[in-house]
Amino acid sequence: MSKVVEISPTTRHEGHSKLVLKVNDEGIIERGDWLSITPVRGVEKLAIGKTYEQVPKIASRVCGICPIAHTLAASEAMEASMGVEIPDDAYLLRMILQCGNRLHSHALHDILTLPDLYLPGTDIKVNPFSPEEPVRSVAKRIQTLRMIGQTVGEIVGGEAVHPSNPRVGGMYKNITPRAKAKIYDLAKQGIQLAREQMEFMIALEENYMKRDWAEMCGREVAIPQTLGYHNQGYMAAAPMYGSSSLDANPEWDPARWLEVRPWDWYMGEEEITMDDPAYPVGGTTKAGAKAWPQMQACTGVPLYDGQPVEVGPRARLVKYQNYDRKGAMGLNIARAMEYMDCMYKMIEAVDAIDTSAPVCADVIPQGDGEIGWAANEAPRGSDVHLAKVRNGKVEWFSMLVPTTWNFPVCSRALTGAPWELAEVIVRAYDPCVSCATHMIVLDENNKLVAQKLLE
Amino acid sequence: MEYLGQYKAVYKAKAGCEDILAKSQDGGIVTAMFAYALETGIIDGAIVAGPGAEPYKPEPMIATTVEELFASRGTKYSVSPNLALIKEATRSYGLDKIGIVGTPCQIQAVRKGQLYPVGLRDVPDKIALALGIFCMENFPYQGLFQMVEDHCATKIDNVTKMDIGKGKFSVYTERGVNSQIPLKVTHKYEQPGCHVCLDYVANMADISTGSVGTPDGWSTVFVRSAAGEAAFNKAVEAGWIIAESMDGVKPGLELVEKLATEKITKNQKYLEHRAHKEHAALKPLRNPYT
Repeated sequence: MSKVVEISPTTRHEGHSKLVLKVNDEGIIERGDWLSITPVRGVEKLAIGKTYEQVPKIASRVCGICPIAHTLAASEAMEASMGVEIPDDAYLLRMILQCGNRLHSHALHDILTLPDLYLPGTDIKVNPFSPEEPVRSVAKRIQTLRMIGQTVGEIVGGEAVHPSNPRVGGMYKNITPRAKAKIYDLAKQGIQLAREQMEFMIALEENYMKRDWAEMCGREVAIPQTLGYHNQGYMAAAPMYGSSSLDANPEWDPARWLEVRPWDWYMGEEEITMDDPAYPVGGTTKAGAKAWPQMQACTGVPLYDGQPVEVGPRARLVKYQNYDRKGAMGLNIARAMEYMDCMYKMIEAVDAIDTSAPVCADVIPQGDGEIGWAANEAPRGSDVHLAKVRNGKVEWFSMLVPTTWNFPVCSRALTGAPWELAEVIVRAYDPCVSCATHMIVLDENNKLVAQKLLE
Repeated sequence: MEYLGQYKAVYKAKAGCEDILAKSQDGGIVTAMFAYALETGIIDGAIVAGPGAEPYKPEPMIATTVEELFASRGTKYSVSPNLALIKEATRSYGLDKIGIVGTPCQIQAVRKGQLYPVGLRDVPDKIALALGIFCMENFPYQGLFQMVEDHCATKIDNVTKMDIGKGKFSVYTERGVNSQIPLKVTHKYEQPGCHVCLDYVANMADISTGSVGTPDGWSTVFVRSAAGEAAFNKAVEAGWIIAESMDGVKPGLELVEKLATEKITKNQKYLEHRAHKEHAALKPLRNPYT
C-alpha cells in the first residue's frame, strides 16, 4: 500500500519548489513529482511589444545566479531574429563572461551540495559554515573561486549580477589592456584553485557512491546503487558556450521541441498520508493535506523528440565527451569536471582578444518578424530563447530554461530512491526554480487562467 | 573654521614641474598630484574632465598615463559628469585604485557612493584618492557659450583660458586679447541646482585645492584625510609639489573663509526660502538635506 509524503519547501537550491512522493512500505519512491511552486512572473508575455534592447535586460532578472545565461540567450535570440552578426571580439568577451559565470555558479553549488556529502573515511557530513579544518579552507577556496568568476564577469560583462555590457549587436565596451592583464592574473590564481576544488569534490562524490547509508532524520538510510538513475536521455547545444539559428551548423533543433502542460506529465490530486516531523529542519507536510502537482506546477514541460530530457553538465559531457556516469553523483562529478574548462576557455578567449577592436556591429537591422533562437549553455544546461522581432519590437518571446527541462526528468529519476534522499537527487540537478518558472498562470484558486499557445 | 571643513593642514602650493604648470589653471595641484600618484602606484587611473566634442565642453575620461592627464588641465566652467565613470573604471577599465577629481558636489557623491553603494558594487573600496576643487557655482554649456560669445564677444574656439576671480569672469585668447564681464551678468546662467549647495572648498575630499587665497600661479591646498596627507607629503618630498606655509600669504585663508561663508549663507537662505514657511499658500519644495 503506497503512501504519499510531501517535502515542502525543498532547500539548498535556488527558488521555491516541493516534492510530492508516492512511496512503498519501505519508504522507497514509486513515483515522485518535483515541481515548481514559485509564482509565475510571466516574462515571456510581458516582453511582447517591448524593444529588443529592453527584453534581454528584463530576461536577465529571471535569475541572479545565472543572469549571464538569460542576458546572452535573449540578446542572441534577438540577433538571430534580426540577422545581426556580432564582431569576433564581442563574442570573445561574451565567452569570458560565460566562463566566469559558470565558474562562480558551480562553486556556489558546491556550498549547497556539500552538507549532503561525507568527509571520506568518516561519518561526518560537511558543514561549509564550520570554522574547523579541513572544511574551513574548502569554504575559503570556494569563495575565492566565486570571487574570481564574479570579478572576471564584472570586467567583461560590466556587472557580475545582471551584466550591463552585452547589447544586441555585440557589447557596449571593449576592455582595456590593463583589464586584460587583470583577467590573466585572476585566471592564473583560479586555475590552481579550480583543480584542487574539482579533485576535492570528485573525491567526496565518489566516496558517497561507495557508502551504504546516509544519516537522515536521525536514522541510517540505505543509499541505493542506482540513486538518481533515469532513462530520459540528454540534450546540449555546446560544451561551453552555445549555438544559435545563425550558426552554419546549429546544435539545437526547434523542430524536435514541443512544450506541453504539467497536466500530461505530473500526478493528479493526492492526499498526504505520511509525515515525518524529524525531517530536517521542521518536518514534512502534515498528513491530511492535499497536493495536486498537475495544477500546482508552475512550469511548462518542454519535450525533445516527445520526451523530457536532461540538460546540464552531464548532458554536455555525454554529448561532447562520451561521459557515461549515471545517477545523482554522476551528475555532480560531471559538474566538478567542468571547472577546468571554465579556466582554460577563459584564458584562451582572453588571449585572443584585441582590446582595440570594435565590439558592436556596424549595422543593426530592425527585424522583419522572422523567428530566431539562441541556446546558451547555462551552468545548469541549455537555456534556449526564441524570439520574433519586427521593426525593433519583440513580437513573440519564449524561454526554455535548463531547470524547466530538468523538472520532469528529475521527477522520474526519483523512482527507487528512499524518500529521505530525494533532495540529494534534486540538488544534483543544481536546480534554479526561478529560472524554470514561466508561462502557466494560475489565479488565487490555482485555476489555470492563461497558458501558452503552441505555435 | 566650520565653513572650510575638517583639515589636517593648509598650504600655498604649486606643481614642481614646469610642463604641468604651463597649461594649468592655477598651481597645477590636481595634475601634479595625479601624475605623482600614477607614477608611484597610489592610483592606477584617474577620472578627470577631459576635452569634449566642443571647445570648453568637458567630457569625463579615465587617464592612465601622465600624457592623458595633461589633456585635462585647465578649468572648464561647465558640467562634467565625472561620476558617470566611477563604476565603469572598475569594470572594462579594470582599475583597482581609482583617483577622481571633482567639484564639492561630486566628492559628496563619491563619499555617498562609498557609504551607501546603491548599484555601485565593488566601487567603495576602490576609491584611492579623491581630489576636490573649490567651486562657487557652475554653468550649463549653453550658458557658458553665451557668456563667452555674447557677453565677452569672443569666439569660444579661440579661448585659451577662462577664469573667475576678483568679481569678474575673464576669457583669454592665444593672441592676447582678453575680455571681462562683471559676475553679476553671469548669475542668470548659473545652474539652478548650485543654489542649494552648502560646500565651497570640497569638504569631503582627501585633498581640496583652488585658486582663492593664494597669488596667481599658486593654489590653496587643504590636506584633509590620512590618505590625502600621506600622498601629499610624499609628493612634496619627491618634488612634484612645492608647498609653503599659508602664514602671511595674501589674501590668505581669510578670503577663502569669507567666500565660503557667503556661499553657504546665501544658499542656506535659498533652502529656507524653498520651505515656503512664510506663505501658507505655497507648498514646501523638497529639501535633500532633511
